Amino acid sequence: MARENFHRILNETQQDVLRMGSLVEEAITKAVDALARSDIALAEEILNFDDYIDDLNVRIETNCLNLLALQQPMASDLRTIAAMLDIIIDLERIGDHACDIAQITKHLANEPQLKPMIDIPRMAARAREMLREALDAFANRDATAAHRIPAKDDEVDRLYRTVFKELIEFMAKDPKAINRGSNLILVALYLERIADHATNVCERVAYMVEGVPKKLKRSVVEINDVAAHGDELIRAARVEGATGAP
Amino acid sequence: MISPFLAAAVALAIAFIIAYWVTRRRLEAVRAELAAATDRAAVSSDSDLAAMARLSALLDALPVGVIVIDDDARVVAFNAGATEILGVQAERPVGRALIESVRSYDLDRRLLAALREGVEGTADVPLHAASDRNLRITTKAVHAADGSTEAIAIVEDLTRVRDLEAMRRDFVSNVSHELRTPLSAMKIMIETLQSGAGGEAAAGFLRSLAAETDRMVVLVEDLLDLARLESGKLDMRFGSVDLVELCRDVVASHLPRARRLGISLLATLPDGKVTIIGDRDKLVQVMVNLLDNALRHTPSGGHIDAGLSSAPGLATLYVKDDGPGIPYDALPHIFERFYVVDQSRSRSAGGTGLGLAIVKHIVEAHGGSVTVESELNRGTTFRCTFSI
Ligand SMILES: Nc1ncnc2c1ncn2[C@@H]1O[C@H](COP(=O)(O)OP(=O)(O)O)[C@@H](O)[C@H]1O
Ligand SMILES: [Mg+2]
Repeated sequence: MARENFHRILNETQQDVLRMGSLVEEAITKAVDALARSDIALAEEILNFDDYIDDLNVRIETNCLNLLALQQPMASDLRTIAAMLDIIIDLERIGDHACDIAQITKHLANEPQLKPMIDIPRMAARAREMLREALDAFANRDATAAHRIPAKDDEVDRLYRTVFKELIEFMAKDPKAINRGSNLILVALYLERIADHATNVCERVAYMVEGVPKKLKRSVVEINDVAAHGDELIRAARVEGATGAP
Repeated sequence: MISPFLAAAVALAIAFIIAYWVTRRRLEAVRAELAAATDRAAVSSDSDLAAMARLSALLDALPVGVIVIDDDARVVAFNAGATEILGVQAERPVGRALIESVRSYDLDRRLLAALREGVEGTADVPLHAASDRNLRITTKAVHAADGSTEAIAIVEDLTRVRDLEAMRRDFVSNVSHELRTPLSAMKIMIETLQSGAGGEAAAGFLRSLAAETDRMVVLVEDLLDLARLESGKLDMRFGSVDLVELCRDVVASHLPRARRLGISLLATLPDGKVTIIGDRDKLVQVMVNLLDNALRHTPSGGHIDAGLSSAPGLATLYVKDDGPGIPYDALPHIFERFYVVDQSRSRSAGGTGLGLAIVKHIVEAHGGSVTVESELNRGTTFRCTFSI
């Protein structure tokens, strides 16, 4: 493989990563749209997306391995290839979560909404925005942006807590809401994870550009924390129910 | 008794189909024109710098996005329309692969398919990347004389069309509502009359029935007029029209209503005649619509001045009130059909948002122009200027 050829394939592979990213971005958007509108057809569409995403995944991986095996890439190219191999794992996971959300949509399609969905689409928008900016940072080899983006995760985490608390309250008041409520909590959890994966992408981009392996500052939702809070709420609701009885 | 209303409903439906058709047809014509223009532009593009500059200026002037990629799938042209519609960042995408600046898998795939496999076509594609938009993408392969191939994508933003359709749907449901509410009331009154109610009650019912019928007739006529105006099917009967006399007549016919509403209405008119070539009935409709708006929006105790002023070669009909005025950000929209400033207020006052759209159409069909000047809490003035 000539040097020139090496760079052509490297460039094309980087573009494929962006293609995969675009598909994944679209999958998230559609998944949450489908959920908000109980649109089963749209949910099915996302499940098909997965095939395209997988194809790209395989192609990128093969190209990366070929590039590694057939040439001795120089430091910066080596980092790019390593970063891509990592990034596609995160993108794949995000795609999987979009499918998870689509499955939940199908499962919940015939149940009435608990209330208009507001915070979940908001979470999705934030997570999507993080992913988009992470991919921009990758396309532009922009380390500054890669360092800046993970801070947005805080907003996603905050929304997650809000959604969680609200859904627990619903379920505590009305056992009929448990199926829907618990599934929606899963959706929120997937979205929170998606934002985390976007943070991972940023980390890889920063490493790719700067050559310094480092965990970026990130915030993590203390699930236990929230869960404990949930227990408290359920207890509170029970007590209220008991004293409220004649 | 019911059949006139059935007829009204049918007329309404027809009016909508016409309006819808016309908008569609117009869009298609624009699209064809643009495709032809870009074809010509692509052919004339060569290495000549001046020609390139001219081409890029031309491309930037188009109200659609145009993207051209070369043999190597690098972007060689990306016009202002594409920047706006696709919401890309400041760094220009030229010289890079498209996917690096526009994150749309579909757009990328289609453009590459045109370049590499000659697969051309048009597709509606949602864009989620920077903004949620509906795009219509047309891709074509362009073969240059030197044997190289480029591919071009024309990107149209359908979001506006979609919004327009949503607006139309809203309007249909509003109109249906407006027709249904009085219809139910009328039905009850009619049934009461049929069951033998008489005397004072019957007379009251009949008065209400007449008033409601009038209102519905106005609504349906407005809709039909607008549909005809927009499709260019409204035949104008041109003749010589004296605007002084016209204005005097219209004001006179509104005096009783103004008096009832406690509004002072006066006409300021020059002596003699000011004559233009026009359709008298249509021009009356213009004045009636403007006066009707002024009367409906001006509170009791207010003043309305309707009149005619002339300058050499020009005649201006105006209606000026000292009512609540129109919010600044609503001003650019009030001539759009179906647009009403305050949904609830206008609707309860019987407004449909069609009046000013009709005014604008008629005035422009006379080669004139209509302007509005308004200040909150100070009042509003509409002016229609015609050349004599
Ligand atoms: N003289 C006026 N004073 C205040 N607002 C006005 C006046 N004329 C028109 N408007 C505003 O412009 C809007 C559009 O007017 P029009 O097209 O005649 O529709 P409609 O009268 O059926 O609501 C109205 O809803 C009203 O809010
Ligand atoms: Mg009006």
